[in-house]
Amino acid sequence: MIRFGIVAIVGALVPFAVPQYALTVIVAALIFGLFAMSLDLMVGYCRLFSFGHAAAYGLGAYSAGLILIHWKLPLLIGIALAVGITVLVAIPIAWICTRSTGVSFAMLTLAFAQLGYAMLFRFRDFTGGSDGIAGIPRPPGPFGMDWFQARNGYYFLVLGCLLGSYLLCRAIVRSPFGAVLAGIRENEAKTVALGYNTRAYKITTVVLSYGFGGLAGALYAGFAGYASPELFFWLTSGHVLVMVVVGGAGTLVGPILGAVFFVFLEHQLSQVTDLWPLAFGAIFMAFVLLAPQGIWGFLARVRKDSNAAA
Amino acid sequence: MSQDTRRKILKAAVAASALSAVPFISARAQSKAIRIGIPTAITGGYALLGSQAQRTCRLVQKMVNAKGGVIGRPVEFLYQDTAGDPAAAVRKSQELVERDGCRILTGVIVSSEAAAMLPKLEEWNALFISHGNGDGRLTAELYVPRFFRANTSAPMGARALALYLRDTPQKKFMAIASDAAWGRSSNKAFEEQIKKVGKDLVDQVFAPVANKDYSPYITKIMQSGAEGCYVALQGDEARAFYSQAQQYKLPQRVQFYTEIVAQADIKVLGKDAIGLMGSSRYPITYDIPENKTFLEAFRKEHPNELPDWTDGEMYQALMVLFAGIEKAKSDEPMKIVAAMEDLEVTSVKGPIKMRKCDHQGENQGFVVKVAQNKNFSEPVGEIVKIYPREQITPDCRKSSYST
Amino acid sequence: MDFVSFALTQCLSALSQAAILFFVACGLTLIFGIMRVVNFAHGVIFMLGAYVGYTAARISGSFIAALIVAPIVVGIAGIAFERLLLRHIYGRREGGSDLLLTFGLAVVLSELIRLAWGAQPLSLPAPEPLLGALFILGQPFPVYRVFLIALGVVAGIGVWQFLERTRAGLLIRAVSQNPEMVHALGVDVGLVRSGVFGLGCAMAALGGVLAAPLLTAFLGMGTNIVIDAFVIVIIGGMGSFLGSVIGSVLVAFVQVIGTYYFAELALAFMYLLMLAVLIVRPGGLLGKEE
Repeated sequence: MIRFGIVAIVGALVPFAVPQYALTVIVAALIFGLFAMSLDLMVGYCRLFSFGHAAAYGLGAYSAGLILIHWKLPLLIGIALAVGITVLVAIPIAWICTRSTGVSFAMLTLAFAQLGYAMLFRFRDFTGGSDGIAGIPRPPGPFGMDWFQARNGYYFLVLGCLLGSYLLCRAIVRSPFGAVLAGIRENEAKTVALGYNTRAYKITTVVLSYGFGGLAGALYAGFAGYASPELFFWLTSGHVLVMVVVGGAGTLVGPILGAVFFVFLEHQLSQVTDLWPLAFGAIFMAFVLLAPQGIWGFLARVRKDSNAAA
Repeated sequence: MSQDTRRKILKAAVAASALSAVPFISARAQSKAIRIGIPTAITGGYALLGSQAQRTCRLVQKMVNAKGGVIGRPVEFLYQDTAGDPAAAVRKSQELVERDGCRILTGVIVSSEAAAMLPKLEEWNALFISHGNGDGRLTAELYVPRFFRANTSAPMGARALALYLRDTPQKKFMAIASDAAWGRSSNKAFEEQIKKVGKDLVDQVFAPVANKDYSPYITKIMQSGAEGCYVALQGDEARAFYSQAQQYKLPQRVQFYTEIVAQADIKVLGKDAIGLMGSSRYPITYDIPENKTFLEAFRKEHPNELPDWTDGEMYQALMVLFAGIEKAKSDEPMKIVAAMEDLEVTSVKGPIKMRKCDHQGENQGFVVKVAQNKNFSEPVGEIVKIYPREQITPDCRKSSYST
Repeated sequence: MDFVSFALTQCLSALSQAAILFFVACGLTLIFGIMRVVNFAHGVIFMLGAYVGYTAARISGSFIAALIVAPIVVGIAGIAFERLLLRHIYGRREGGSDLLLTFGLAVVLSELIRLAWGAQPLSLPAPEPLLGALFILGQPFPVYRVFLIALGVVAGIGVWQFLERTRAGLLIRAVSQNPEMVHALGVDVGLVRSGVFGLGCAMAALGGVLAAPLLTAFLGMGTNIVIDAFVIVIIGGMGSFLGSVIGSVLVAFVQVIGTYYFAELALAFMYLLMLAVLIVRPGGLLGKEE
């Protein structure tokens, strides 16, 4: 808990320590961090690999974007509604996908994400098609609040959502619910034999995962002021999965670190060289070979070693 | 390798990554140069167009600085990679403005990137001049004061073709367009125009972006009985379509008219491209002194290449920009905006006027036909007809024409 | 154009598309069947085949040379990748390693291709004899597409016979079912894996060379086909050769017919098909339940 407090305080001080343009990249990293953490619930805690998590992100972003533009509701309400919509849509998706396991599950999630992508083009009058929706506002309220309209303000909003979501997720995985998930992860057959309806647990996990992912997407819409079909595309799902695995699946914190690492690395490398994709890909391959437990696993081992040595 | 070595390498890597965050805090020193930000596609699917934009910027930098620069100051271009992604375009542009001190932006490749940037220009107090963004809405519904478009837009390209087709004997036409924003915009403009000139648009089809197999569309075109077909496809899509259509011997039955004539595609398609007609955003064979100067300089710098439409339009956009800066005697964005309104410049495409009401550059329209030309080693688009600016440029703040 | 000739040309178009998809999907399913590796880089390998084929054709002046050289070169490169890097992650407890590694490979390889061949697209036309058009019931149909169908059928039969009748094929099928037993019988399972990975890459590369006359060789040509291939493999059943054949044909038809009649929904059809199959048979048409 102390570590959490320290992180929160450091986080709060960041906007005052870095130049304004740097804040943009940091907010992007935090939003991806939330997105990656949401996927970790499925991947790390339940061993449900998803190739379609972009669906949650895209749903959250487009819902928030359309609500904010057309109904001009306050930003916070718009975001909350977007999360609600994402959760509702996630329920039938989760129900269908959990009928399969392993790679079939992954491909079903991909199917839904790609369907979402195709739907954007089908209903282009509503969604803007390949153009996406631009000019998403940050309407003030409720109670006249507008601190989130400024760059610093929005940073605090994102930070708050990330920290809050982390605490919630941590509570979930440490609860009895989480214990059942651990059972499903380690040995599903045994857990079923113990009388648990593992399917229901899996569906719930997927829906929760989509919910937090939708929150990330909604925050993104308010941040960029723009939502486009790439948010639904399978490359986005691939990137977030990479973030989870690089960061360390099943740790909640790991994927956040993985996301931050991914965003910063891409940003920095592209400043330095036109060959940045080369370095980027090579670094990821190095991770696989040298640090299979991800960043978090590596840091944990380092700490353990230094404790043991002491 | 041993556990120990692994750990050492990893620790070093983590430290290096942490250090890599440091450049956030650096700031570029104040400079006398006029800084122009180029958030373009260096990697990704649009890398070719981005590389063309870059090479012309470099050429112009050389040419202009050799003559003492603009308002006595050298020009400097700063390049960032957006990979054609609108969100990245916004981020990189913001950095170019806030971290690198660029007050002027150009070289953006994809229309949706431009659309995402427009609402932010006021916050950044930056000027954005388009060299190649075709979507009609950028100077219509999405208009903002700090945006200028020097290039021919997609509706303008369609307009030139429609005017040409008015005088041809063909009566029935079909259209195939990319399902992307510019393709739909281009197609809509063509549809309106072709009906105005009294021809029949029998059918229109939209191919998803990155479509591979055009056989269903080719079949539709064959079945439609159309004599001519409007093609609003670009790059990979266009090449795939023409290659496959040629295999069906379609060009022998139906005349293709394209909205964008790209030299890179002509080079690859070779003889498959001969006979193709289209609206050209940069007619390489245009015989005026400004174009000759540009061509000579370009071919000297790149002996085995011919300038493509991106190169020609980029050059023109920069010439317009520099004329604006000279007139304003400043690189302050709003002063350049005031100076560029109703500014007349003659460049590689002839005379162009940056219309005050919507900041659209009034360009002449060129219809070309691809053929072998003795002055060039590759087939090029030879000018068939030139249309005056008043006929080509749409109504103010619109993508449509009332005449 | 009357309905019969129209239907016939549509079917032939779909089959020609299925042929290219088959080359890519078959490689993918073999790799997954043997190694349980999700090869994110399969699309880039397809693209590499097209580029290597371009160079081979440029040097030798012959399309046939491209068809032979590209699969061999890319196959060998695949084997090298497998032996040097991929084999370190077999049997890892932490899932996702194959994903990361092949994702990294995809990114690195794309970039290397851009560096080696440049950003501009390259032309690899079909040879002269194949450039004409046949007349089928009065409608022109490209000879090249007929060639694709023929080659697809020949390759399909070839791979099938290879898997069913040869010792190597037997080993491959055995390893995909029970590697430990095969190892216990004294066979070098690692060699089989390397071989299969190489074969899978070679087939994808061949697909790339064949696709080049239709698309020209350009950066990013593999991005969409890798997803199509995954969908085909899932529909057909992961690891099932016959499944990849059926899946390729199904997906090609759905794409061609869908594009023609419901252009707006064309993108979605393939996924709706996959959804339908997975709801009814979660392991794919011919796959085994996981």
